[in-house]
Amino acid sequence: MAFLPRRERWGYNAIKPMTIGSRRRIAAVLALSTALLVSACSGGDEEQAASNELTMMTTLFGTAPDPNGEVQQAVEKLIGKKLKITWVPNAEYGDKTNVTLASDNIPDVMVVNEKGPGFVKAAEAGAFWDLTGKLDKYPNLKPADEQTAKNSMTNGKTYGIYRVRPLLRSGIVIRKDWLAKLGLKEPQTTEDLYAVAKAFTERDPDGNGKKDTYGLIVPKWPGNYASASPYDVVETWFGAPNGWGERDGKLVPGFDTPEFLEANRWMRKWVTEGLINPDFATLDTANWNDPFVQGKGGMIIDVNVRATQLLDLFKEKTPKDFDKVTLVGNLKRPDGQKFSYPFTGYNMVMAISKQHIRTEEQLDQTLQTLDKLASKEGSILLTNGIEGRNFEVDGEFAVPINQDDAKVKAIQNDVDKAFIQLGTRASVGLGAYRLKPNDEASRKMRDRFDVLMNEDLKTAVFNPALGVVAPTAVSKGQTLDTIIPDARIKYLSGAITEDQLKAQIKRWYDSGGTQIAQEVNDLVAKNGG
Amino acid sequence: MATDLVPNQVVPPAAEVTPPSPKRKRRARPVRLWRELLRYRWLYLLLLPGLVYFIVFKYLPMYGLTIAFKDYVPFVGYSGSEWVGLKHFQELFTGPDFGRLMFNTLLLALLTIVFVFPAPIVVALMLNELRIGLLKRSVQSLIYIPHFLSWTIVASLTYLLFSVDFGVIANWIHGLIGGQKVDYVAQADWFRPLIVLQLLWKQTGWGTIIYLAALAGVDSQLYEAARVDGAGRWRQFWHITLPSIAPTVVVMAILTSGNLMDSGFEQIWLMTTSLNRDVADVFDTFVYYIGITQGAFSYATAVGLFKGLVGVLLIFGSNWLAKRLGQRGLF
Repeated sequence: MAFLPRRERWGYNAIKPMTIGSRRRIAAVLALSTALLVSACSGGDEEQAASNELTMMTTLFGTAPDPNGEVQQAVEKLIGKKLKITWVPNAEYGDKTNVTLASDNIPDVMVVNEKGPGFVKAAEAGAFWDLTGKLDKYPNLKPADEQTAKNSMTNGKTYGIYRVRPLLRSGIVIRKDWLAKLGLKEPQTTEDLYAVAKAFTERDPDGNGKKDTYGLIVPKWPGNYASASPYDVVETWFGAPNGWGERDGKLVPGFDTPEFLEANRWMRKWVTEGLINPDFATLDTANWNDPFVQGKGGMIIDVNVRATQLLDLFKEKTPKDFDKVTLVGNLKRPDGQKFSYPFTGYNMVMAISKQHIRTEEQLDQTLQTLDKLASKEGSILLTNGIEGRNFEVDGEFAVPINQDDAKVKAIQNDVDKAFIQLGTRASVGLGAYRLKPNDEASRKMRDRFDVLMNEDLKTAVFNPALGVVAPTAVSKGQTLDTIIPDARIKYLSGAITEDQLKAQIKRWYDSGGTQIAQEVNDLVAKNGG
Repeated sequence: MATDLVPNQVVPPAAEVTPPSPKRKRRARPVRLWRELLRYRWLYLLLLPGLVYFIVFKYLPMYGLTIAFKDYVPFVGYSGSEWVGLKHFQELFTGPDFGRLMFNTLLLALLTIVFVFPAPIVVALMLNELRIGLLKRSVQSLIYIPHFLSWTIVASLTYLLFSVDFGVIANWIHGLIGGQKVDYVAQADWFRPLIVLQLLWKQTGWGTIIYLAALAGVDSQLYEAARVDGAGRWRQFWHITLPSIAPTVVVMAILTSGNLMDSGFEQIWLMTTSLNRDVADVFDTFVYYIGITQGAFSYATAVGLFKGLVGVLLIFGSNWLAKRLGQRGLF
């Protein structure tokens, strides 16, 4: 204390001696400021402003729409409620979901992965409404497809309204002009595919005299095992189960089958021979299209809509000559048998949080609102936009109009990149009106989606365990989830041998996989798959 | 504060004047504290906001650490969640990840100490020997620019330069040495060298600032005296420059040691791929992965708490070591 100024320098005498009162004031200031800060941290517990406001959280694929924009206003007018929507970029949706679940500000209606560990724990603790059997009252929320409804359950309970998607979207996008130049036909079997990849790599499809191309483009896959990665699709072609499958009367994970190993042996050959982009372990999914458009690689195995995406990109680059893309469906394996990779028929569900919606009555109101949103009128608004503003109806088609007007373009973007995600009935690939693109190539491509889907659905391999989630997978996911996809990439890149890959599969079983397999078998038996 | 320790507030002022007996002194101390507080009340008032800040933002949130000993479910809340004792710690220590995490974290820390920590010292000493002021200043500015780039940009640059497909540097090295193309960004063997290189590139320049300041503070009379005694530049460096910045180096070393367990989350997260995850997983990325991606909040908190405890031990340890070696410690 010696260095503190002496009282004279502070003009001690000029200041009134501290009284009890002023000491109290300081205490009060301290208490108040603490209280303010504490309440600032835990605020937001107040009741939702009556029921004329609805908070939602969903995925976003572009820039967030203006809350006062035309589309949002139209939606608000339709449902008669103010909307407060948290738009979260798709890439970080899982993380943001967990953070939101941990906060005390859970939106009333939240789009979630109903099998994610964070959500399952929260739902089982009672944070969300159990909607099992409650949806039948609402004509537009009542599940349209029983199997999809079952798939979107969590161990026999419906925690949300599924957002419908086409049941089969897998396909191979191929450079049409390269095929033509090398005199190749569209592949029908995995052997054909290999031959195309080989030719694309070694026979100079771009005609620049250099060996600078490769057959297939694969990115660093962000998902885990059985998440519709190109690897998962190829494994299915070879006959491996999609996720889980029956072997000797018991459900086993797809990677514990000889077909899985065979498929990967085949793909490893691709890597060794340079038929796949050398940076397949690191290429960002956001840049997946680049090598295709730049003419470095000739094929992509992914969802069919990538074909129209690539068409659009070529159109931007060379508007006069852009018809360079073709789409092929699932392939037969060498012995002629065909197994196709289906999708789940939905993508995440809309769950209703109990935080603000506390009574059955409030729940009924919210469901009625969502029912309106899923009506014909709501679906048109969410998937097509505002009739007469950004599109015109032509029979069963929606034809884009006025796209040169910046305001109309904004409407179109808000719908395509954002509001479509609020749809449960009509959605991506299943618009209320089907989109009628303004060029012949894209139109043909869209027609092809349906042809291929209906053809491949005949041989689709469904995952019987979609509707269940094993408790051990929830509690031990952190150690287990990366084992198989990591080992697969390591094996393909040549970093480990097949024996080491098998050892990793055994490691999965030893670290808790044995329990998961048991639980999945029990749960599927109980819930009827 | 200490009010309840004050038995009576009516001790005569004489207590301050007369040399108190041990017993009376003990009773008088709280009173003196109050007087002290009263006398310098405006200074203490100035202290208050800072104190409130630390209590509210640093100490109150520590209440949340209790979830490391619970099965925390956000919806049920802190108090509603069930106590599970040391379950999560047990899981961590006996789990399959612990050994790998510890090894990776410590190895990266060791590499940081050996390569990254001394780099700014060496560069600062070299800059200090430069005679041309303009050159010195421009070099200094140029090398600390990378500090202002975010890790996302550094990682993107690394991918661009070292990618096996189109990386400029990767291709250049390949042209120089030939042989098989090396995938620097994906291969596990190259993970640690790349991390160290990134750290060197990004942080060295910034780190020199503190040492250059210490060097600027050295009394120039010392150098003059040494020159008069016939000391060459090397002698001056050895006997004046080095001892002068030694205390700064020690303080920096102690501060660094507390962060040894922090392996730079962003940097490692961005550089992790399926191929190098075995060597890339450290406590920081693990906490993020299990806490945010998997939603296992309690387990993540337990891991973070363990990491924090090790950090505290390291600070005290290196402080003790510094004192043992005859340097002034931090506290």
